[in-house]
Amino acid sequence: MGKVVVITSGKGGVGKTTAVANIGTALAQLGQQVVMVDTDIGLRNLDVVVGLENRIVYNLVDAVKGRCRLRQALVRDKHLENLFLLPAAQTEDKTAVTAEQMVELCRELKQDYDFVLIDSPAGIEQGFANAVAGAEQAVVITTPEVAAVRDADRVIGLLESRGLKEPQLIINRIRPDMVRRGDMMDMDDILDILAIRLLGIIPEDEHIVVSTNRGEPAVWDKGSRAGLAFRNISRRLMGEEVPLLPIFNHGGLVQRLRRLMGLK
Amino acid sequence: MSSSRLSPVNEGEGRIRWQVGGKDVPSTERTLLVQHTLRSGQAISYPGHVVVMGDVNPGAEVKAGGNIMVLGCLRGTAHAGAWGDEKAVVVAFRLRPTQLRIAHLISRSPDAAVEEPGEPEIARIRDGLVVIEPYLSFNERRA
Repeated sequence: MGKVVVITSGKGGVGKTTAVANIGTALAQLGQQVVMVDTDIGLRNLDVVVGLENRIVYNLVDAVKGRCRLRQALVRDKHLENLFLLPAAQTEDKTAVTAEQMVELCRELKQDYDFVLIDSPAGIEQGFANAVAGAEQAVVITTPEVAAVRDADRVIGLLESRGLKEPQLIINRIRPDMVRRGDMMDMDDILDILAIRLLGIIPEDEHIVVSTNRGEPAVWDKGSRAGLAFRNISRRLMGEEVPLLPIFNHGGLVQRLRRLMGLK
Repeated sequence: MSSSRLSPVNEGEGRIRWQVGGKDVPSTERTLLVQHTLRSGQAISYPGHVVVMGDVNPGAEVKAGGNIMVLGCLRGTAHAGAWGDEKAVVVAFRLRPTQLRIAHLISRSPDAAVEEPGEPEIARIRDGLVVIEPYLSFNERRA
């Protein structure tokens, strides 16, 4: 029996879909049976980010409404045979499914998969309610910005009131140089406010833009620091103890000496 | 514009009869003219032919009982002969669909980037496969 994990944020554009794509892929690379569920009906993106858009025949709404069998709506990944996508419908809206239907769907999926990862839409309306309905575990993602942290706080409150205790936090798009200069909220500021367990931090990484546009999650790229951070998060989700990545890349000896001498 | 209230009654061999609320409606040999671009999330479903004067963007869907003609770039999903007509075709100035379906066949775009032919193309079923060819004018086809 698998785990149903929802990834949510309240605010849009902080990296929910990217996180689902990368964590899902990394978990599958580690040998887990994984299904990623896109609940952003009407504004689907996850299919594009994992490069499976052109393989979609049926979607979540078709499966829920009985227009196809659940198995038929699952799209197998191009590279990993233990990774699947349940795409959202694009030509319908959030009211096309109910929370009860999502509960039933998640119950069915977790029979066959170790991880059911749910990509939630932005906002706290019905789409959010549907996304969290069948989840047993929640991951809240935020960026080091006051507005994103405010929305994350709101969402954590909503999750707790729905009985999703102990949500975990991912802080995305940290820029070490800006944190060092004191121009960006740092990890401790954010954890002070949100006071939930930290699941991982993701450094800002240009690889993400490239990989997202190409439909190949960054965890495939051994040179991507964000990819490494997502691989570590996946191992933590599997229960392994993995130390946090150091945010500051101390660079080579010369750079460090320069810094010591106050040259940079 | 969308005719979702129409329901098909399959009579076999690709022939269908159309009904609204259990009553027959006249011939499906009609054409819907769409005079704008179809954007992501917009869907057209029509029992006859569909002509789009504009583009069909990724995430948009056109479903027709007959042929589909796009006077623009087809980047989304098109389903011609959606109720079983294997003779249906899809024509577009630029044929770059996410997915192309004709009757019961589904084909998808290649994952790697392909060379743009830069001319109108036609997709149809040949020997049980969806094939795409340059769209030739009437005279060229006779030659």
